[in-house]
Amino acid sequence: MQIIINGKTYAANPGEKILDVARRNRVEIPTLCHSEALPGLASCRLCMVEVHEGGRTQEVAACTYPVTDGMEVVTDSEMITAKRKILLALYNLIAPDSERIKGLMARYHVEPFDRLQADAENKCILCGLCVKACEELGTNAISTLFRGTKKKIGTAFEQPAAECIGCGSCASVCPTQAIEMTEADGKRTIWDKTFELLRCQDCGEYYTTPEALAHVRQKLGDTVGNIEELELCDYCKSRRAAEKLKNGLRLNELFDATVK
Amino acid sequence: MQNKKTIFICCGTGCQANGSMKIYQAMLKAISGLNLDVEVIPDIKKTGCHGLCQKGPLVHIAPKEITYIHVKTADVPEIIERSIIKDEVIDRLLYFDKQQNAKVQSKSDWTFEKKQYRIALRHCGGIANDSIDDYIDKGGYQGLEKVLKTMTPEEVIDVIKKSGLRGRGGGGFPTGLKWTFAAKAQGDVKYVICNGDEGDPGAFMDRSIMEGDPHTVLEGMAICGYAIGANQGFLYIRDEYGLAVENMRKAIADAHSKGLLGKNICDSGFAFDAEVVRGGGAFVCGEETSLIHSIEGSTGEPTPKPPFPANQGLWGKPTIINNVETWANVPVIINKGADWFAAIGSEKSKGTKVFALVGKINNTGLVEVPMGIKLREIIYDIGGGVGKNRKFKAVQTGGPSGGCIPESKLDLPIDYDSLIAEGSMMGSGGMIVIDDRTCMVEFARYYLKFLSEESCGKCVPCREGIKSMLKILTDICEGRGQAGDIELLEEIGAMVKANSLCGLGKTAPNPVLSNIANFRDEFEAHINDKRCPAGVCKNLTKLYIDSKVCIGCGLCVKSCPVGAISGEKKQPHVLDEEKCIKCSSCRERCAVDAVRVR
Repeated sequence: MQIIINGKTYAANPGEKILDVARRNRVEIPTLCHSEALPGLASCRLCMVEVHEGGRTQEVAACTYPVTDGMEVVTDSEMITAKRKILLALYNLIAPDSERIKGLMARYHVEPFDRLQADAENKCILCGLCVKACEELGTNAISTLFRGTKKKIGTAFEQPAAECIGCGSCASVCPTQAIEMTEADGKRTIWDKTFELLRCQDCGEYYTTPEALAHVRQKLGDTVGNIEELELCDYCKSRRAAEKLKNGLRLNELFDATVK
Repeated sequence: MQNKKTIFICCGTGCQANGSMKIYQAMLKAISGLNLDVEVIPDIKKTGCHGLCQKGPLVHIAPKEITYIHVKTADVPEIIERSIIKDEVIDRLLYFDKQQNAKVQSKSDWTFEKKQYRIALRHCGGIANDSIDDYIDKGGYQGLEKVLKTMTPEEVIDVIKKSGLRGRGGGGFPTGLKWTFAAKAQGDVKYVICNGDEGDPGAFMDRSIMEGDPHTVLEGMAICGYAIGANQGFLYIRDEYGLAVENMRKAIADAHSKGLLGKNICDSGFAFDAEVVRGGGAFVCGEETSLIHSIEGSTGEPTPKPPFPANQGLWGKPTIINNVETWANVPVIINKGADWFAAIGSEKSKGTKVFALVGKINNTGLVEVPMGIKLREIIYDIGGGVGKNRKFKAVQTGGPSGGCIPESKLDLPIDYDSLIAEGSMMGSGGMIVIDDRTCMVEFARYYLKFLSEESCGKCVPCREGIKSMLKILTDICEGRGQAGDIELLEEIGAMVKANSLCGLGKTAPNPVLSNIANFRDEFEAHINDKRCPAGVCKNLTKLYIDSKVCIGCGLCVKSCPVGAISGEKKQPHVLDEEKCIKCSSCRERCAVDAVRVR
């Protein structure tokens, strides 16, 4: 299967979305609500592209629109860019301090709206990535609350949530650093709930909460859930894997070794 | 000789609000106390909407065909005495038809009815709304029986395709084509949904059909179930529609007891069941993916299409969603054939459309007209023109998703495509008539306010775009408009239309953009001259009394709540602009139109 993006032909696989093919081939399409670890949300609407397909032209969200053989995609037409600029100027009103949004504005030469007042206090753009991450983890501690212009992200009844394991996935996927997560004296506080932190078995740095580790072990099941790498921070995990590769261990052997 | 009389009392929500249930009860009580059965057999039916809501409660008597308007409980004895026992007509209860300049005995002769063509509303008002027997007497469920006994599913879809029926919920997607997608979709389990989440302000077409003729909806759904291979239907009914829910639930139970729903319908082996789901109370739930999520128990928010519900809908199964009015057309098309239906209407929009005609119009009510009819005919012939002898300014179609059509375009034939070409849309069929005392900027602001409260907030163009546009419009209405505001509204509006996730956002800027296109001078007057020509926006309105016109009757003095008007009897009065709060009470009251906007 092949699709054409901005005049160039690329290989694509059935089931893929336009954005997958574009990213793989380094064709630029801006996004705020996209994470490679999660399905497309189509909420930020920055990834709108023009699609010519079956004699029809429409503007679609690249992150959720499935590829079809021979489809033509235009990512940077005048029509698309003009609206992208307006949209970015709106983002600037909601989250004026966001570095990511400022970067996109510079990239697309967007002037801020001087006619409309920005909300200086606000950081969250309500893209929903945090909620999706929490849902995919199976924790469901946060969700959107209320509707429309009053919408916000929070825990149920805005009380500390029993479901929250303090893993911080929500904060890490957030494109605008809107979720407050603080760490001090071996403790992490997020969503009004404070967790003890565990130390990495290699380097001794704090890296996760016991609740998050238990959740991961449970998800992975009895065999994989017991591997010692789970007690390492991300850095040490990578380092150990790299060392094993360096020592000539093939990937399948590495897998056998870790699940043994 | 026995004399059988049938009395049809409108018990739709509108007439009920004006006491029609009390009339029904009084009628039952009075008749039962009379012991009339030798000479007269009266059959009293509470029905759905007759159409002319403005004149309710309506009572119609057959076979003499007498229609009474504004009936009160106190009129019941006289109606029984003179029109049931005898065959007399009570003149004072008849409708005075302004266009004919005469009192008219039967509703079928009203000018209001002349250009109407009833398909979806064919039984509304003519059968008891809680009786399956009445529906069957009128040929009900014959369509279902016909498809089950004589047609293959492919033939059924073919008839619907050939008829040219398009979705009546607003988008106008060809119904037969949609059914083909679902019929072809793989899966043992499929669903049929009736979208009864009518949410446009001023619209009540779907409610009236569900209240007045619930079985036609069920029959249409069962026919679709057979055509696509679904055995379960859901009726998603707006929570506020209590009577529709009640009548629909009774209809489902009655259809079950007659073997017209449930297992082995008409001994065909086909099974179909239906269930009412009460809506979640959000405008966005009228959007099909949101509606599906709401039935599933999730938050009523849209998800991107594709996947389309016909392939992956309710609980991931192929699902057909059609609007109430679409379903009401299906049994008739099956009975009378595709060619009959396709002969009605315009080239690309077949059949009829029901409109809720409201606003500054003389005949408020429910009307069904063939597609392709001119707006002028609906407003002036059927609607009887603009109320209070004011000047027509525009008509708004399609509710918050639609736009305003000005006088210059009144000869536009109405169909899906012509309305979209004018920046409006058919929508589900709300039609709001606007007179010259409506400010088009404020009107656009009203709809955006509504949408800002009803946007689900999931995608940024809709949520933040509407919010920003509302801020600018509010500024304009309150006198803080700036040069460049109109262009900014157009820019943001175009982006919201193109980039929003669902139909709500994609159409949300329509009221603003169409008003700018057609009434740009009003926007400019607000921004540049700080003046509201219609005299609605308080910060921009200055009222005065034209001394050449004022006859000094003093009505304005009495209506003014702040004592801002003074003057000698029979002498021109004066309005103190300092004291005036611009409530316009005097302007409404003045009989000679002497109160003017500066």
